[in-house]
Amino acid sequence: MASIETQYPAMEKAAHDHAVAPPSPSKHLILADVVLRFFLFASGVVAVVVMVTSNQTEIVRLPFPPFPLAHVPAKFRYSPAFVYFVVALSVAGLYGIITTLVSLYALLKPSCSTKVLYHFVIFDVLLLGIVAAATGAGGAVGYVGLRGNSHVGWREVCHEYNKYCKHIAGSLVVSLFGSIVLVLLVLLSVYSLSKRIPKY
Amino acid sequence: MDSQYKSAGIENGVTNDRVKEVAVGKKRKMRGRDLVLRFLALAFSLAAAVVLGVDKQSTTVAVTLVSSLPPVNIPATATWHHLSAFVYFVVANAIACAYAAISLLLTLGNRGGKKGLVTMIVVFDLVMVALLFSSVGAVGAIGLMGYQGNSHVQWKKVCNVFDKFCNQGMVAVGLSGVASISFFLLVVLAT
Repeated sequence: MASIETQYPAMEKAAHDHAVAPPSPSKHLILADVVLRFFLFASGVVAVVVMVTSNQTEIVRLPFPPFPLAHVPAKFRYSPAFVYFVVALSVAGLYGIITTLVSLYALLKPSCSTKVLYHFVIFDVLLLGIVAAATGAGGAVGYVGLRGNSHVGWREVCHEYNKYCKHIAGSLVVSLFGSIVLVLLVLLSVYSLSKRIPKY
Repeated sequence: MDSQYKSAGIENGVTNDRVKEVAVGKKRKMRGRDLVLRFLALAFSLAAAVVLGVDKQSTTVAVTLVSSLPPVNIPATATWHHLSAFVYFVVANAIACAYAAISLLLTLGNRGGKKGLVTMIVVFDLVMVALLFSSVGAVGAIGLMGYQGNSHVQWKKVCNVFDKFCNQGMVAVGLSGVASISFFLLVVLAT
């Protein structure tokens, strides 16, 4: 028996898969899952680092008389939208690295992956909501900073703080990429789960 | 070894039948839940778009032009299309509302349970989750700016003047939040 098993390991495995449904997911899907989760981690880290390093101090002409010229710093911490952005993207990066490790574990031990995948779908969609909201919030505030708004008297600030604004724009683009990665992740999980549901 | 496989196959057949029955019952229950959630999403995104779309307030603002003269009262109007974030919010909610109506009809018509259609609906539900959450984030950030202002870049708060406008905007954000949560539940329950 042992010799048979060693002689035909592939056949044995195929027969086993056929006999005892559900069949294990193909390795390609889990590998794609691991790669996408790593991308999520990378985009979270990059977005946070770019946003945090956006400090810029400029000499600005103030509108009130006593100190007409002053060194005024611009930091992400000054806007609650950007603070939320940093927190959300940090959470996304942390989630990305943890789930990359779990997914790698599922790649090595495919037996328990259905349950794991199901739990991932819920958290992936939740993270998608959080990251999309962060991108929307940062984008809205950044757009007002870029163009200003004459109706409510918010002047534009990006012509003075161009490095700051460039960092914020780059960070927003990376977080947009992160949310697209999350959409793809959920689609991948849905696809691989729907393959495993028995047809009737 | 052979017998082992046979018994496994028989057992598998039995469980398959049972799984089938359970799945059909589950499907019926899921479909009712699906329809209710879709209807909720439709209603709340429509309400959010309308509430922000009709949001308009005209007041007079006292502006001091020259410090020796008394302040001049200038009429000022706040509407949703003055801020691009609000425009994005209204457009996103209108898209979500239209999509919820279309998908409601498709789900009602899809009695056979075609798999391709179901997958397409899940994909678009996911896109709507992203769209609605980002619009809620955008209007939330701008609304917070309106309530508190930002002293670092000298953006004054405006909600002390346009109080009704701001409150109505926040109501719209809440409604859209409920709509986005129902889309979220749709995706989660579909898997």
